[in-house]
Amino acid sequence: MMINPMDMTGRVTVVTGASSGIGRAASLLLSQLGARVVLVGRNQDRLSQTLAMLEGSQHSIEVFDLTSTDDIPAWMKLVAQRNGLISGVVHCAGEQLIFPVRMLKSQQVEELLRINVVSAIMLAKSFRQHGVNDSGGAIVFVSSVMGEVGAPGRSAYCASKGALHSLTKSLAMELAKERIRVNCVAPGTVKTEMLDEAQNLLTDAQIAEIESMQPLGFGTPRDIAHALVFLLAETGRWITGSVLIVDGGYTAH
Amino acid sequence: MTKADFLRALEDSLEIDEGTLDGAQVLEDLECWDSMSALIYMALADEQLHVAVTGDQIVSCKTVNDLLGIVGDKLTG
Repeated sequence: MMINPMDMTGRVTVVTGASSGIGRAASLLLSQLGARVVLVGRNQDRLSQTLAMLEGSQHSIEVFDLTSTDDIPAWMKLVAQRNGLISGVVHCAGEQLIFPVRMLKSQQVEELLRINVVSAIMLAKSFRQHGVNDSGGAIVFVSSVMGEVGAPGRSAYCASKGALHSLTKSLAMELAKERIRVNCVAPGTVKTEMLDEAQNLLTDAQIAEIESMQPLGFGTPRDIAHALVFLLAETGRWITGSVLIVDGGYTAH
Repeated sequence: MTKADFLRALEDSLEIDEGTLDGAQVLEDLECWDSMSALIYMALADEQLHVAVTGDQIVSCKTVNDLLGIVGDKLTG
């Protein structure tokens, strides 16, 4: 008998940032593994594009702005009421900021931390509420190798991603008794719309240098989706508090 | 914003003495000019003039005047 240890049949899985890049790829893979995917993002049209790519018809869209952090707990309860008890949350939504520290303003940093860190904390708080999770479950955050290493012009961004790594460990400790696992995937440079934005700020030579730092070249959103689902599914049953670096060898230097 | 005001803002951001730049300077001759300075110029153009400058636009610049040319439409004087 063939088995699939990453089978997700019937599991309600919330994916934030589902309108593009890694979030879209994770949603697609989850649907191919049988999950019931709840697509979260700010743009209805782009979420509809993702929905049209998914396998199966059991999926849904939730238009929500995660920067409204105080509203996340009540919203998450509604999501569970509309879609059923939630097995897992994949938090892909986030912003990048390439800005020299001497030009940074506190408002920019606070806005970045709100979407990259505060929303993650509030999603975890919301997922653990009674009537939301399916007697436990799994949360996977998407951070970046920039949470482990530094780079010029990225201090605020690196701080936000490093915060996610320590958040992952602390939440894992706090929520283990509620049978909720918390992990994080730290991607290297992946070909997404976010990379396109970065390319506008960097020269071709700088982009080529970044690519040369990754022995396996730039990754794809699908590469990251595989790691995310590995941590969500039965394959991750004994894994919590981990940061899985998926970077084509970038941090092996 | 006038060209002179923008030059003063650039000097301030690059932390070089006021009056150092008049536009004619060759970038590679400026001790302060490096890849971080290019990011600073992009941030300044975005913040002060709401112009999104790309890395490749900056690479093609040889002088400070070339840099100003990228945002020329937004400068007066």
